[in-house]
Amino acid sequence: MKKLIQFELRKLCAARLTQAAFLTLLLLSALLGFSTYQNMYAFDGNSREGTGRAAVEIDQSIAENYGGLLTDEKVRRMMEAFQPTQDLHGMHAAYLYQNALQSALFCNFSDSNGNWNGLSVSDVFGTEEIQIGYTYGWLKTSQNMVKLLILSSFAAAMITAPIFSGEYEGVDQIILTSRYGKTKCSTAKVIAGSFTALFLTTVVSAVNLIYAFVLYGSSGLGCSILFAPADFSEAYIPFNLTCGTLLQYQILLAFTGTLGITGITFALSAVCKNPMLSLAASAAVYFFPVMLPVPETSPLFKFLTLLPIYHAQFVSLMSIGQCSGSVLYAQLAVPAALLLMGAGIFISRRVFAKHQVS
Amino acid sequence: MELKTTGLTKKFGSKIAVNHLNITLSNGVYGLLGANGAGKTTLIRLLCSLQAPTSGKIVLNGKDIIALDETYRHLLGYLPQHFRCYPDFTAFDFLLYVSALKGLSEKNAKKRASALLEAVGLSAESRHKIKTFSGGMKQRLGVAQAMLNNPHILILDEPTAGLDPKERIRFRNLISAFAQNRIVILSTHIVSDVECIAEEIMMMKSGAIVRRGNPQEIPSEIDGQVWECTVPTAHAKRYAAAFHTSNLRNTDRGETVLRILSDHPPMENAVCVPPNLEDLYLFYFKGDPQSEKAHSI
Repeated sequence: MKKLIQFELRKLCAARLTQAAFLTLLLLSALLGFSTYQNMYAFDGNSREGTGRAAVEIDQSIAENYGGLLTDEKVRRMMEAFQPTQDLHGMHAAYLYQNALQSALFCNFSDSNGNWNGLSVSDVFGTEEIQIGYTYGWLKTSQNMVKLLILSSFAAAMITAPIFSGEYEGVDQIILTSRYGKTKCSTAKVIAGSFTALFLTTVVSAVNLIYAFVLYGSSGLGCSILFAPADFSEAYIPFNLTCGTLLQYQILLAFTGTLGITGITFALSAVCKNPMLSLAASAAVYFFPVMLPVPETSPLFKFLTLLPIYHAQFVSLMSIGQCSGSVLYAQLAVPAALLLMGAGIFISRRVFAKHQVS
Repeated sequence: MELKTTGLTKKFGSKIAVNHLNITLSNGVYGLLGANGAGKTTLIRLLCSLQAPTSGKIVLNGKDIIALDETYRHLLGYLPQHFRCYPDFTAFDFLLYVSALKGLSEKNAKKRASALLEAVGLSAESRHKIKTFSGGMKQRLGVAQAMLNNPHILILDEPTAGLDPKERIRFRNLISAFAQNRIVILSTHIVSDVECIAEEIMMMKSGAIVRRGNPQEIPSEIDGQVWECTVPTAHAKRYAAAFHTSNLRNTDRGETVLRILSDHPPMENAVCVPPNLEDLYLFYFKGDPQSEKAHSI
């Protein structure tokens, strides 16, 4: 069995498509991370202004001054410090970005002119304890990872699409007449395919997290995502999670999404007669849910979010309320993924073993 | 060991590929002869459990091969008609992969793979990628993979396709040496491939075995129906089209010797000759020549 798994892994890794997928995702990760970093801008309200590394340093030094639990006193201090010094020419102060903390503050505590809106911390966040600090870098990383993990899940489907259907181009006759061709070979294929898909997700996640750690450090990981800059205020996750917890969920959902689409691809690969057809079918199944005109208020939407693409997109799934107590609905992604993988394994093994060579 | 089919039938829609076949095969080399579309490949796929019969069954020593499943496949070696492999694998690695599928231990797999590559004349190319191989080399690799597990039942579908004469001889010797106490089935439409090594010939036509017997004995069935006639080379083509002609041979006297199948002398100078397997093949698989015109020539 070990030998069969090694051979199946070798077949997958030797494929140009697999190598291209790995390289493309690594390149995209580097490009997205770098361009995000370079495009960052910050102004401390007095004299310091900059982009890229300078912006991150300015943002982090501002965050150090106010870091910790968000209090009404801190809100007042920040409102004074970030008071607009120029005429806004009719623009809403909340959308006039100076630095990350100012943006988060104005989203919650400012009127259109940049003056305090009179709300207290408890008015805005209720009884939640909001830890504040420099979260922008990690939140941007999370945002980039959504794109990359959607691509990574799709790449997993591309890589695993030929796993059974590729054999139908002739080698199936050798495999299916061999002793373990209908049993252990299918298991080896499933193990190798799942491993490759999960390894791809691990690499993409790890590269992005390490890159972000190098660029932004670990200081914002314990801060709440609720006190986030304007980019994350609309339709974002409405729970008081720390950045670290958010990333943990995101990675978990990336893995469940990959498992889910890999399971679906296994089944389609065994059913379809050639790799291109199984790839097209997998792509259709993967992307189809986001094209459906189902509003987020519909009960059907809750079901749809359990499909693989929403795991990788993760914000919609994380935005759905708790099931009971403190259990997030997103945690249902784990049984959903296991179900899809289980069904995929069952169907693919059965179909491949019963395949009639024509 | 006895492999037996009972009422074996395979239909594809309304087309019957294998028609209620009852055959029993015990140890020995069997040559399955038939024209294209006779049902040879379908029968072989049924014997290899690659296709399910529409009706009937195949039993090995009294047990249904479907029920035997892995146990049956453990005894089986198979070379498909269109042998495919992974182009980026080396020949040696491909054999190791097939060995893993067949459940051979790693040590045994390496030993068998090396020995078989030597036997099929590919030892020098064992570490070359298969994509660099010619058609004949791939075919030899196919023969090697079929024999990896020392199968008790070896089924080879068109095994000599793409092999040059020297390789054909090597193949025949390999199979002859291997065939002791085993069932070996060679499917082909090339008569000479099986004439030398098969102990029994099965002629298949329209999904049924129409003739079965020893390759040296069964041609006698058409004794008195094979003739050699000498005609001027300029007219040879016309005569060949008019009769069921199994061979044409030019002489250095501007004449051509035709080997003709006919139940009566096709011309005055016709000489009756002993039939061979190719003649018998032609007898069973002859088309519809312009035999009517033959009498008028």
